[in-house]
Amino acid sequence: MKCEMCHKADAATVIRKVVADEMQEFFVCQDCAHNEERRETSHVSTPTSLPGETDGGTRVPLMGMILDAAFEIAGRSLSLKEPACPVCGILRDEYRKRSRLGCPACYEAFSKELDAAIADLHRATQHTGKTPEKARAAWHRQQLVNALEDAVRGQRYEEAIALRDELGKLNGSEAATGGFPQ
Amino acid sequence: MRMTPDVDAPSKRARSVRADDIAISCRVRLARNLENERFPDWATERDRERVFVKVRSALEAEKTGLTLKPVDSFAEQHLNMLRESHVISKDLLERAAGGGIAYAESSPVCVMVNEEDHLRIQGFADGLDMRSAWRRADALDTLLERHLHYAWSPRLGYLTACPSNVGTGLRAGTMLHLLGLRLLGEIEAVVRGLERMRLLVRGIGGEGSEAAGQIYQISNMDTLGIDEEAIVLRVMRISEEVVRQEYNARVRLIQESPLVLVDCLARSLCVLQNARLLSTVEALEFLSAMRLGASLGLFTRLKVQEVDKLILLMQPGHMQIRMDTALMSDERDEMRAGFLSRKLANVKLKC
Repeated sequence: MKCEMCHKADAATVIRKVVADEMQEFFVCQDCAHNEERRETSHVSTPTSLPGETDGGTRVPLMGMILDAAFEIAGRSLSLKEPACPVCGILRDEYRKRSRLGCPACYEAFSKELDAAIADLHRATQHTGKTPEKARAAWHRQQLVNALEDAVRGQRYEEAIALRDELGKLNGSEAATGGFPQ
Repeated sequence: MRMTPDVDAPSKRARSVRADDIAISCRVRLARNLENERFPDWATERDRERVFVKVRSALEAEKTGLTLKPVDSFAEQHLNMLRESHVISKDLLERAAGGGIAYAESSPVCVMVNEEDHLRIQGFADGLDMRSAWRRADALDTLLERHLHYAWSPRLGYLTACPSNVGTGLRAGTMLHLLGLRLLGEIEAVVRGLERMRLLVRGIGGEGSEAAGQIYQISNMDTLGIDEEAIVLRVMRISEEVVRQEYNARVRLIQESPLVLVDCLARSLCVLQNARLLSTVEALEFLSAMRLGASLGLFTRLKVQEVDKLILLMQPGHMQIRMDTALMSDERDEMRAGFLSRKLANVKLKC
């Protein structure tokens, strides 16, 4: 999300202002937040200011704020220095500061806090819309591989054989249709 | 869509306002990422180049007519020109190696590679024809999907670098000229109303934080839990309503404040015909008024499309490409003033 004031840099902060007797949030970059703070102290109106407004002026990192709320809701504290994503290895506090995830696997790795943040951002938790056929097949295959590894580790051999067969059928049908381009 | 105001003198000279005069253009952007690749912000130069090569191969395999080229292979003026035309984002230009642009002259689609996400597929259309913009972006996306393995989950949809885009990865935006609402002091209320409906409202085309030239971009905030067609339809319908409000504001300006309106147009024309130095933002503000006057038919020899062309041509990148040389800021201001003065020399206010 871009800063709602300069429309250039990425929004990194939320400032709260009372506009027409209503508390509103503005997603802004750090520079605009500082400028806003300076303006507020010198009582100079800004392009987004409206007559009669008073500025609450609190600000917190945008994604960090949402994630903080998610932590609170989840009722657990996780080490920010913990390399939470096993694929790209980024630290929790790194992605909280930059509001950018490291790789697609981060969505799974950080699901505990991200799920609440995503629900807060979008007011929804389930995708509806376009489904890329091959991505869905690849996802299904990965789920089977994970389940197979889990079954083998747990010495549930009958389940493992069934999963292996299912995986074999999936790979066979993909091979018949040309497979997934690598 | 065409609406005819019932106005009395001195507004008799004002012709009917076309919705296209208010809605400039629209765009649909799809954010896509490749599985098993770090997102661009965390990727190494080598990672980004690998993504670049994969996307280039996909584009070539489908004969899309688009050629993917590295950002650093373009001249700076050319990049500025593409940015001013809204083909690429400023964000792309500020990123490290591996960034790419796939586009063709006059093509209604383009792809940015290694911007915030691995791919940003964009479809463009005139006015509020957002369905066309969506169809164009969707068609290109479907072609590329045959060759690229997108990061996607059944629960969260397309996985994006920022969770604010997760789901459809779709941002549908319209660009609207809302000077009438501004002159009546009603724009803030409209913007607040749009934000309450969970739409993003941004200024566009200016260097400042405000909507320079009173040109606003309205786009969806939510990308998860609502499908692509519904997002596009919603943004389109709400934009149509804003266009209606702007239209009504223009009619009221003509009926209730004709002197204020004509004064605004006369001042703008006077400055543009006589100024010796004009910055981009300053020129945009005056051209915005000219655009309003042209849409109301209050100028001789001036159409809205001509003003739109001037708005593009007077921007730094376009000016430097035309002059085939890099210009300092003050040189640009002088040339811009001269250029606009010549182009508008024969324009007169009808009333």
